Amino acid sequence: MTAFIVRRVLMGVVVLWLVSVVTFFLIHLAPGGPSAAISFDSTAEQREALLKQFGLYDPPLVRYGKWIVGTVRGDLGVSYNQGLPVGQLLMQRLPNTLTLGLAALVAATLLGLLLGTLAAVYRNGWVDHVVSTISTLGMSIPGFWLGIVAIILFAVQLRWLPASGIVSSSGAGSLVDRLRHLVLPAGVLAFTLMPNVVRVTRSALLEVNRADYVRTAKGKGLAPGTVLFKHAFKNALVPVLAVLGLVTTALFSGSVVIESVFGWPGLGRLAIEAANGRDYPVILGATLLAGLIVVVVNLLVDLLYAAVDPRIRHE
Amino acid sequence: MSDAAGSLIQAGKDDARKAQRARFWRRVRRQPVGIVALAVLVLLAAAVWLGPLAYRTAPNRTDARNILKAPTAAHPLGTDELGRDVLARVLAGGRVSLSVGLLAMVVGLAIGTLAGGLAGYFRGRVEVVVMRLVDVFMAIPNFFLILVVVTAFGNHPVTVIVTVGIGFWAQMARVVHAEFVKVRGFEFVEAARALGATHPRTMLRHVMPQVVPQAIVLASLGVGWAILTEAGLSYLGLGIQPPLASWGNMLQNAQSYLWLKPELAIYPGLFIAATVLAFNVLGNALRDVFDPRG
Repeated sequence: MTAFIVRRVLMGVVVLWLVSVVTFFLIHLAPGGPSAAISFDSTAEQREALLKQFGLYDPPLVRYGKWIVGTVRGDLGVSYNQGLPVGQLLMQRLPNTLTLGLAALVAATLLGLLLGTLAAVYRNGWVDHVVSTISTLGMSIPGFWLGIVAIILFAVQLRWLPASGIVSSSGAGSLVDRLRHLVLPAGVLAFTLMPNVVRVTRSALLEVNRADYVRTAKGKGLAPGTVLFKHAFKNALVPVLAVLGLVTTALFSGSVVIESVFGWPGLGRLAIEAANGRDYPVILGATLLAGLIVVVVNLLVDLLYAAVDPRIRHE
Repeated sequence: MSDAAGSLIQAGKDDARKAQRARFWRRVRRQPVGIVALAVLVLLAAAVWLGPLAYRTAPNRTDARNILKAPTAAHPLGTDELGRDVLARVLAGGRVSLSVGLLAMVVGLAIGTLAGGLAGYFRGRVEVVVMRLVDVFMAIPNFFLILVVVTAFGNHPVTVIVTVGIGFWAQMARVVHAEFVKVRGFEFVEAARALGATHPRTMLRHVMPQVVPQAIVLASLGVGWAILTEAGLSYLGLGIQPPLASWGNMLQNAQSYLWLKPELAIYPGLFIAATVLAFNVLGNALRDVFDPRG
């Protein structure tokens, strides 16, 4: 197991390093590159000073070297537009994205497990068809539009929930107030992520149902519910676990747009602001941080997977 | 070989082909929902490309005196915040969104098939390099990757198409790679090689046809994904730029008028959802047609 863990961690580090290479050089080799970002509204001298200050006179490889050495030490450079350290900006936003993401992940997983199980139990019946319709809708409806519709319905028409932000100015940030702000964005995000979980749960349960031990359990006359929960479900959970890595990646993509719809001050919104303002250090930092979290989550999923299913360790 | 034997073999081949075709159409007929989805897509395409021939209102003409108007005979879906005709913009936006979706799918599928195919066919070092690159692209959440590219290279429509395509080449490559590895091991491929077929010929004539059904399914699902992504990007102001309409960027300003005129935010989204839904349903139906056991 130790060798397996070491190998997986090393692979994660390599992937992360490659992520840094790909994103850095995409930006720094683009025509104009970062230096184009500070060309407007500045005189020639100011431009010169800025280019020098941000080290943009160095050749790209040197720039990358300096950046990656700093990054490893936790120094991601300074935002062009805000003049603050990138690390500080990211850390301000990260907790908000984690709150939203975790809430959406839990909701999507529970909902997906429930619907997927129902679909498998009532295979090919009307329940199955309803579930498959819901999950195809979840795959097809743009999350940001669903968010807008939810705002129209629950904030504008019914006035049940706030339309945007993370706390209201009057609510003084009580827990209830925070939860009320969380419901719509997390719900919408969960709805778009849920189809992945539904599909895997359904097919995993159907797969397990064909296994000999389930047939034996049924054959010795156990109640269907007992077979489902004591025998089938436990084994079906393994593939579901595996899909959570994929869902986390999708979560970050989805949160970029959802955070903008609901004015949620998270990492995704920061990335959008940075993209609009061509704030390269910030967008590099945000992408790398998102990549780091995805890699770590996938690593944890792999390790859990190996702990649950010993065959994986000896691949 | 005598002519008679030759024609007999030919007749046998024709029969086999006919039977195969009949089986295929039988399976197609078992997918009524998929057929409906295809019909919806054909209708949508006809509406956005041929519609403007019948409905001649200009999508970009502003009219300061007719802002945010309710539907009338002249403007069946009303007007937006600049007095532009919403129906004309929905049609024009559909043209852009469908084109971007289709072309981005072609880009993603082309890169993915090439990379995945080479990796799965040659294995060894090529496979290690390509698949590690796939891991890298899978580790960067799509939208962040796309933001990086758009920030660096700007948002010309061609850039948007390539960018969205790059957003999902890795997924395509993974599937195509697995298929190539599987098919490569079959005897008929080995036989082709033994008979002296070159690598390119073996790949294109013998392996590729087996991968095509999977690729078609992926393509259908991919267009849906590409349309969603372009819509999100344009909604955020980073994709297709106004005044050129796209379903995504029509929603960009609509959010400011939610309290005044919520319908503005409804129409483009309905079209996106219907189109993507049709592509997803079509993709799933195609999967069932090509792989009835699944």
